[in-house]
Amino acid sequence: MRGRFLLLAAVLFVPTLQAAQGDERVAAPLQLFTPPPAGSYSLPPIQMAPRGRVLDEAGRTHALSEFVTGRITLLSFIYTHCTDPTGCPLAIYTLAQVRDRLAASPVAAEGARMVSLSFDPEYDTPDVMRLFAKTFDTAGRKPAWHFLTTSSLAHLGPLLEGFGQDAAVADANGARRLDHTLRVFLIDRRGRVREIYSSAYLMPEVIVNDILTLAGEGSAR
Amino acid sequence: MINPNNRLCILSAAVVAAMSLGGNAALADETCNSPYTTALIKGQEDYVHVWTLGVKDLGDGQDKLVTLSVNPKAKDYGKVVSSVSVGGRGEAHHMGFTDDRRYLWAGGLSDNKIYVFDVGKDPAKPKLTKTITNLGEKSGYLGPHTFYAVPGRMLVGTLSNVKDKGGVTGIAVYNNKGDFVAKYDVPTASGGDGYGYDVAINPAKNAMLTSSFTGYNNYMRPLGELIKDGEAMKKFGNTMVVWDHKAMKPVKVLAVPGGPLEIRWSLKPGDNWAITAAALTSKLWLVKQDKGEWVAKEVATIGDPAKIPLPVDISITANGKGLWVNTFMDGKTRYFDLSNPEAPKQTYEKVTGKQVNMISQSWDGKSVYISSSLLENWDKGGADNEQFVRAFNWDGKELTAAFDVDFTKEKLGRAHHMKFSAKPR
Repeated sequence: MRGRFLLLAAVLFVPTLQAAQGDERVAAPLQLFTPPPAGSYSLPPIQMAPRGRVLDEAGRTHALSEFVTGRITLLSFIYTHCTDPTGCPLAIYTLAQVRDRLAASPVAAEGARMVSLSFDPEYDTPDVMRLFAKTFDTAGRKPAWHFLTTSSLAHLGPLLEGFGQDAAVADANGARRLDHTLRVFLIDRRGRVREIYSSAYLMPEVIVNDILTLAGEGSAR
Repeated sequence: MINPNNRLCILSAAVVAAMSLGGNAALADETCNSPYTTALIKGQEDYVHVWTLGVKDLGDGQDKLVTLSVNPKAKDYGKVVSSVSVGGRGEAHHMGFTDDRRYLWAGGLSDNKIYVFDVGKDPAKPKLTKTITNLGEKSGYLGPHTFYAVPGRMLVGTLSNVKDKGGVTGIAVYNNKGDFVAKYDVPTASGGDGYGYDVAINPAKNAMLTSSFTGYNNYMRPLGELIKDGEAMKKFGNTMVVWDHKAMKPVKVLAVPGGPLEIRWSLKPGDNWAITAAALTSKLWLVKQDKGEWVAKEVATIGDPAKIPLPVDISITANGKGLWVNTFMDGKTRYFDLSNPEAPKQTYEKVTGKQVNMISQSWDGKSVYISSSLLENWDKGGADNEQFVRAFNWDGKELTAAFDVDFTKEKLGRAHHMKFSAKPR
């Protein structure tokens, strides 16, 4: 029963997102400025990405470090049955925008990755995440986009704590909802969080410049 | 109603729609929060947290976070519901929420410490969870003043430096766990005086503004003595700085003489101007773009500058059409019509205390809270040294007293900065 609900939720989410993509209200916050050029500023390390275990779309266990080191990573927490069209869909929409912009630069695309990590391991099993990932045409595209989950709340908890990401289960008119602050984390090759974006500053052009800024640091830092 | 202690998936559709129209901030809560603050209160606040300076031989004599019940429907309305002392007295001054609103950071201007209170689990009973003591060591700065949330971090605007305790200072950045991240000096070149005070960001413009006050040597000195010292009185900030927030680099220094203090961006969608009050010159200044260039314009006079009313705090209405101004020396609370921000007009004034400092209002503007204390050595003496938080109702024409908490009678101390919170809904 739960599985059928999950699949239904994932399928229902697709038109929601598509509608969101065509809805200007769900665009990133208004950007009334030209961002500083990539490489003209620095992004001091804020904190280390935490350690922990995650599951990929095939259900295989990995250390999170495999997805937050070695490349420049843009990571956000989501849950697939989020029905707020300005919630998780906006985070994913922004990541998709960033991916499309990066794809124009093969070097940058090769050196970056996107990660969407579920808040809700009970609902978002690897099967659900795999189905969800297909919505975004991730296969073979660069930068790679991974849709991860965890095996339990016990495995998720330390990751949330480590990132400083809040989340709480709430009841919204009988429907289960996960309340949280939208945060998207930019992580460098060494696993250090270098920028954190929230809904007031989720601007694809700025994010791309930040990624290019980190890419320009080379291996010196 | 937004549950104030849970975080919605992100801001509501209405908020995002407002952002797409150029708005800077939220549609609820206090009007002076960082635009990055989430979990906003929509509707009636339940509590006002008051960062309170300890007074020797009064109660425990320590700085403390006092929480008042302020919901008129509550049985304990207008009463103190909790108090958390921090173990010493270090010139408690200002505070600010983290972006997820789970924690309230509060600073000591003389002990150079930052106290972190958990207000998310039970806002009626905040708990001191961490004390940050490395500001001076890590940044060289002294006097943590403004706590301004950005995602996952806190910008700490400071007043002084540990080297000479003058006014040259900067902004320190900590992550939400309390780890030092970076420091950014207020510029001393291109007309800059290096002084600091408030921080306020307009995300849509990528514009961060800072204002300027004075250093430890002045703000810890008795006011009566200080104003007679001509040389010392020259050591007040006379500038604001426009920063590229993304790059955290100064873009332009603006001449704003007389100690520009609190900065408030208009919250009206589409507005991209900010206003501030200069303490010593008693003037309101508007900061806006003119043909793409950031400029500061003197736009109004507050009271009679010759009498030094000393405007110390301002609070902008949610629609950007009105501004409360508290003037410390004459104890007045004034209301300015900001319909034309180029020419604010005072439309109301009332003596609300023998000395008044901070002022905060609810999002709907119907509740106005006023506190009494400026600085330990600047507060008045004798019978004029009233220490209180007073709540008023505002009907657009008249401030009507709602409740009054006497911080001396309650043996709490000097009431300074106030922040709102609410029960989980």
